[in-house]
Amino acid sequence: MGDMEVGMITLTIDGKTVRVPSGTSLLDAALSHEIDIPRLCFHPELSVSGGCRMCVVEVEGKEQPTVSCGLECQEGMVTNTNSEQLTKMRKDIIDLFVSDHPLDCVTCDKAGSCLLQKYAYEYGVKETSFTEIISRSLLQDDNPFFIRDHKYCILCGRCVRVCDEIVGAHAIDFAKRGFEANIATPFDGPMIDSSCVFCGNCVQVCPTAALMPVSRINRGREWELERISTVCGYCGVGCQIEYAVKDDEILYARSAGDPSVNGDFLCTKGRYGWDFVRNDDRLTQPLIRRDLAHELGITDEPWEAPTTSPLAVRRPKVDDYFVPVSWETAIDIVCTRFAEVVENHGPDAIMGLASARCTNEENYLFQKFFRAGIGTNNVDHCARL
Amino acid sequence: MEEKLKALGEKELARQAEVECRIFCCTSTACLASGSGETLQILEQGVQAQNYSKDDFTEIVQIGCMGLCSQGPLVRVETKDQSDFVYGQIDSELALQILAKHLPTNSHSTTLVSKPDDADLEQLRSNIKAARKKRGLVHRIISPDLPFFSNQIRIVLRETGQLNPESLPDYLAHNGYKALYKVLQTMEPEQVCDEILQSGLRGRGGAGFPTGQKWNFAREAKVDTKYVIANCDEGDPGAYMDRTIMEFNPHCVLEGLMIAGYATGASSGYLYIRAEYPIAIDRIKKAIRDARRKGIIGKSVMGTDFIFNPDIRIGAGAFVCGEETALIRSIEGMRGMPRMRPPYPSTSGLWGKPTVINNVETLANVPSIIQNGARWYASIGTEESKGTKVFALTGQLTNTGLIEVPMGITLREIVYEIGGGVPGKAEFKAAQTGGPSGGCIPASHLDTPVDYESLQELGSIMGSGGLVIIDDTTSMPEFARFFMDFCVDESCGKCVPCRVGTVQIRALLDKLIAGHGEIEDIDRLERICHLVKNTSLCGLGQSAPNPVLSTLRFFREEYEDLVATEIASGGPDG
Repeated sequence: MGDMEVGMITLTIDGKTVRVPSGTSLLDAALSHEIDIPRLCFHPELSVSGGCRMCVVEVEGKEQPTVSCGLECQEGMVTNTNSEQLTKMRKDIIDLFVSDHPLDCVTCDKAGSCLLQKYAYEYGVKETSFTEIISRSLLQDDNPFFIRDHKYCILCGRCVRVCDEIVGAHAIDFAKRGFEANIATPFDGPMIDSSCVFCGNCVQVCPTAALMPVSRINRGREWELERISTVCGYCGVGCQIEYAVKDDEILYARSAGDPSVNGDFLCTKGRYGWDFVRNDDRLTQPLIRRDLAHELGITDEPWEAPTTSPLAVRRPKVDDYFVPVSWETAIDIVCTRFAEVVENHGPDAIMGLASARCTNEENYLFQKFFRAGIGTNNVDHCARL
Repeated sequence: MEEKLKALGEKELARQAEVECRIFCCTSTACLASGSGETLQILEQGVQAQNYSKDDFTEIVQIGCMGLCSQGPLVRVETKDQSDFVYGQIDSELALQILAKHLPTNSHSTTLVSKPDDADLEQLRSNIKAARKKRGLVHRIISPDLPFFSNQIRIVLRETGQLNPESLPDYLAHNGYKALYKVLQTMEPEQVCDEILQSGLRGRGGAGFPTGQKWNFAREAKVDTKYVIANCDEGDPGAYMDRTIMEFNPHCVLEGLMIAGYATGASSGYLYIRAEYPIAIDRIKKAIRDARRKGIIGKSVMGTDFIFNPDIRIGAGAFVCGEETALIRSIEGMRGMPRMRPPYPSTSGLWGKPTVINNVETLANVPSIIQNGARWYASIGTEESKGTKVFALTGQLTNTGLIEVPMGITLREIVYEIGGGVPGKAEFKAAQTGGPSGGCIPASHLDTPVDYESLQELGSIMGSGGLVIIDDTTSMPEFARFFMDFCVDESCGKCVPCRVGTVQIRALLDKLIAGHGEIEDIDRLERICHLVKNTSLCGLGQSAPNPVLSTLRFFREEYEDLVATEIASGGPDG
C-alpha cells in the first residue's frame, strides 16, 4: 500500500485519496486538500467547539452524519462532504440560525463579509421556515473600540475561545443557558471593568455583526472598502495588517491573516492605534530650522532662535521654527554636517539612538551605518523593557 | 485492620440484638416532605418522656427510603420478640399511638427522672397514655406481603428499612466494606473488571454501556493519574433513585466507587452531587469522614497499599452537568458544557486523565456483585440486560414510590401488580420512561419487557429510572410540552439544534395546543424533531425530541384532533 511513512494515514474524501498525519481531524484534512466544508464555529487557530453543526459529513459505515471538526481521520475511512442529505441538513441548520437572527442584511455593516449571510446565500435560505424568535436584543457600546450587538450573535463561541486561548485574558464567557445564553463579561459588568485588553481579536474572529469596530459603523459597505496591506510599525514582530479604507480614511484595521507571522491576531496598538495617520500634528516632510534655512539661502528673512525653549511654549507652531525642505536638501545638510563633525571632533563625537519600533533589518542597517559609515560604536537603543 | 472493622460490626449487631424495641423512622426527602420530621420529633421526645435512655430498651433510628413513598411518613417497628410492623402515613397523632403500643411498659416508667416542672414532657406522657385507647393505628399497617413489596427483587435497596445511613458500624453489621476487603485481598484489578464484565452490569444512568468494559478501558491506560467519578447529578423530572440510594446507604456508593478506583488504578475519586440534594450531601460527607477515621479511606485502605481519597463536588443546578463531559468540565471549575466525544473520558477525562464515570446506582450494585459473584448477578434479568433496575414510580397509580425490579419484567406487572393500577375510574394511557430524554409507551405495548433494547425499539429509553404513569385524563401533546419546557430550560446553549430547535418545537406545540395549528404543523413538528435528534451535540439535545416523537408515534390522533377542533370551532358553536 504505497509508501509507509510513519504516522501518515490514507483516507478518501469525496472520492479523492488524501494522506494526512494521524490525529488530523477530517475537517482539517479536507481543507488542506482544497475541499471546502461549511463551518461557523470552527477557527483553525482555536480549539474545536462543535457547536454550529454545519460541518456535518457522511462516513461510510456510520448511520448518522457526524461533524467533521471533531472527527479524527482513520486509515481507510471513506467520507462524503456533499450529498443531498447533507445539503438538506445544513439548510435546516441555517434555517434554525436565521430564525434567531435579524435578516436586515440590507443595512447591516457586516453584509458582504458575514459568514451566516454567505451560507444562507449558498444554501438558498431566504428566510426562516420556522417562527422567527429572536432571543436577545441587548446592544452594548460601553467602550470606544467595539460594540457588542447581541441580536446578531450566533453563539459560535469563537470570541470566548480567542480571548481564552490566544489572548489569555478570558474576559468573556457564556452566561445563562439555553436560548437565553449570551456572551458576557463577569456579572455582565462594563468591558472596562473586565480583564479585557481591547485587542479586538474577538471582533476579527466574529463571523457576524455581533462584534463590530466602532470606527466602522455606518461608514460604508464591505465591498466598497479598499484593502491596503502593510506591516505594523509598532514593534519588530512585523504583524501583517490590512487597513480597510474608504475615501482615503481608514475605517478599521485587521490582521491580513498570514499564519507564519500573526495569523488572524493583532494587539491593541496594531488594531486600534492608527488614528495618528490623519492627525494635524503629524510630520510628513523634512523640516529645517529657520536660521539654517536663511544661512543656506532657502529663505530670505533672517531668524534668530528665541531664548526661551520651545518646550516652554504652549503648543509651539512648527511653522514658527521650521521651514519644509525637500528630502534631497535635508539629506544633503545632514551628510555635510556629519562630515564636518567627524573631521573636527572625531567619529566618537556622534552617537546614534535607534528605536524599538524599527524592524530588525532597519536596526541592523542603523548600527552598520554608525559603525562602518561614521566609524563609531556609539550606538544604542531606546527599548529597556 | 479488617479484624477491627469486623469486631466493630459484630459489636453493633450484638448491641442491636439487645435493644427491646427499635423504631425506624424514614427521613428521606420524600418522607420529610410529607412530615416525617415532626413524626421523628414526637417519637424521640416520647421516648424521653417515658424515661428510656436511647440505647437502652428502645432506640429511634433514622433510616432512608423504604420505597412506598405514597404512604409516607413511614415508620417501621422491630421488637425483640421478632415482631415487625410497617406503618404508613404516620403523623404526630399516630406516632403517639405507636409509642403507646410498642414501648415496653416496665418499671422504668415508674421512676421518673425528668424534672417535675417539665410541663411539655408531662403533657406528652399523658398524651401517650391517652393514645393507648385509640384504634387508628391498625388501619395504617402495611403488610409486607403487599404486591408492591413482594414483586420486587432488591439488590441495591436490600437494606431499606433497616440501615441507619449515618452509622458506619451499622453498615459494617450489614456486611459493609466486605466486598472492598475481598477485592483488596484476593483480586487483581483485571479480575475485578472481569467480574463486573461477566456480571453483565450496564450503566444505570441510562445509556447502558457495559460497566466492566468502561473500567477496562481506563485500567488499560498506562498513566499514573486516573480518576473515578460518581455521577450523582440525577435530574430527570420525577426521578429520585440516586438521591434515595445516597440517602439510605451512602457507604455502599462509596464502597462501589472505591472498588472502581482499585479496578482502574485510580486513587482519587469525586462524587458530583447536585446542590438540591442537601441530605444526600450531608450523609455522603459523614460517610467519608467516618470511613477515613476507621482507615477505610486514605493513604492505606484497610492496611493495604491501595490509596484512595474521595471528594465531593456540588453541582450548581444545571441538568446538563449530568452529561459526563459537562460534568467533568464542571469539576474542573469551568462552565458545564458538553464537548464532543471521542475522546471518551476513559481515555481523556478529568484534567485530561483517564476517568471512569459511573452512575450512583451502578456503583451501588458493585459491592453485591463482588460478594455474591458475577454468575449470581447474571442469573437475574434478560439475555442483554442483567440484574435489577430501580425505578421511581410516579404518576397516576395507587402505589407510587421507589421500586427495584428484575430486568425483563413487563410494564404490565409494574403498573398493575406493583403499582396497583390506576386509581379511580380513569384508565391507564401510557408509561413514560427515561424522563425528558425518554418516550411514552402506550397500553398496547404494556407487555414489553423492561430492558435497554426493548425500550429503545419503542422510541423510548431506559433512562436513569423515572417512570411516570399517565391516565386517560392527560393530554399527550401537553405532556410532551411539559418535557419540552424542561429541555428548553436546561439546554446549555452550545449547539444550535438544541438551543434554537427546542424553542421552535415548543413554539409549534404551543401553537397546536392553543388551537391555532394547521395540519402541516404536525409534519413540521416531526421534521424539526428529527433535525434536533440527528444533529445535536450531546445526549440532551439528541434525546430532547423523544417525548414529542414517541407521542406523535402512538398518539398522533391527539395532535390531529387539536387541528380539527380549530377547524370545527371556526363555525358557529363548533
